[in-house]
Amino acid sequence: MNNSELESALKKAQMPARPEAFWEMFPRRVVHRLNRPPVWDRARRHWLPRLAWGLGMAMCILVAFAIGHWHGRMEKNDAFVLLQNGKMLREVLTLFPNRVRAIVQDERGLQLVLSDQPNVPMSTPLWVKICDGKQCSSLVTFSGQELEIAGQKITVLSDAEGGIILEGNQFVWSSSARNFAQGGLKIEAKRLNSITL
Amino acid sequence: MARMAGSDELNHIQNSLAGDTEAYAALVKQHQKMVHAVAFRMTGSLADAEDLTQETFLRAFRQLDSFRGEAKFSTWLCKIAMNLSLNWRARENRRGDVHAKWAENAISENDSCDQFPDELSRRVQNALNKLPAKQRAAIVLTVYENRSHAEAAKLLNCTEATISWRVFAARQKLKRWLQPILHEQL
Repeated sequence: MNNSELESALKKAQMPARPEAFWEMFPRRVVHRLNRPPVWDRARRHWLPRLAWGLGMAMCILVAFAIGHWHGRMEKNDAFVLLQNGKMLREVLTLFPNRVRAIVQDERGLQLVLSDQPNVPMSTPLWVKICDGKQCSSLVTFSGQELEIAGQKITVLSDAEGGIILEGNQFVWSSSARNFAQGGLKIEAKRLNSITL
Repeated sequence: MARMAGSDELNHIQNSLAGDTEAYAALVKQHQKMVHAVAFRMTGSLADAEDLTQETFLRAFRQLDSFRGEAKFSTWLCKIAMNLSLNWRARENRRGDVHAKWAENAISENDSCDQFPDELSRRVQNALNKLPAKQRAAIVLTVYENRSHAEAAKLLNCTEATISWRVFAARQKLKRWLQPILHEQL
């Protein structure tokens, strides 16, 4: 077989066809994802609808203020413990049913990440703490959520055996095989089984 | 900016930069099949190709202000899609280390074998899947995207000689693997 015969065979090979409706809908789906509420990267904010962003910010400030007020006596060192406080979590989840994607505590304070639709399934909350050597982020989230933490997108998953898996662009970490964490990240994670929703 | 883009495309890019997602939808519609084809040839999976195509357009939108128009918009998109596809492979490999069982399930769910229109198409894609990712990328760009070795080298951030070597090595393997099916067809 010579090169031109090979090239001809490669070019004859067709891909599985997608229905035309798929291509019609695809741009809509991309735009829908573009219009999702902001996550973490402030540099990307400019393309989000300003109204949605304004409302999101207002809600975050209100919730952060309320939480800060309720726990005003807590010292700063206890900040990461706050996220494991069952009462606080239940109240936030009741306030925004099926919309809380994550509650994050980092150097900027406490932040709430909400979905624009009530489409976050109820499941056992997962507590995750990630330190990159300079700073730490602590968060409570749910299995299946994709978040931007410490400058990278991380998907948080839980498995049937109760393990937790964090999957980033540059690493995969599992609570059952902790040595897989890379990039100098120190990760801790656990299920908040004691918190009933 | 965007000297090589057509005037409609240039308008869509400028409007997208101003936050007009409808204009961006028009750009997606124009280039979606090319990006999807690159992603499919690189992954061999319709589901992963769809995810990568979406991710390519999301990333392109976020980085649109860095598009200088030194290359065609389609070339710029192709570069993003190719980088994501190469990273996808590395990520899949790492995922396999940690939860191989999940990966096996994912592979079986993503299997596109039954959807190929004919046996040759299926066998060719299987052969592409067996190539090392960088050699596969060289074949996808030079054969399916009709890029010159120089263009492929720019897209993959390597020298033209490297591309030539990868194409040569990939061809040797593909000839060996595809010889039986081509014999059957003659």
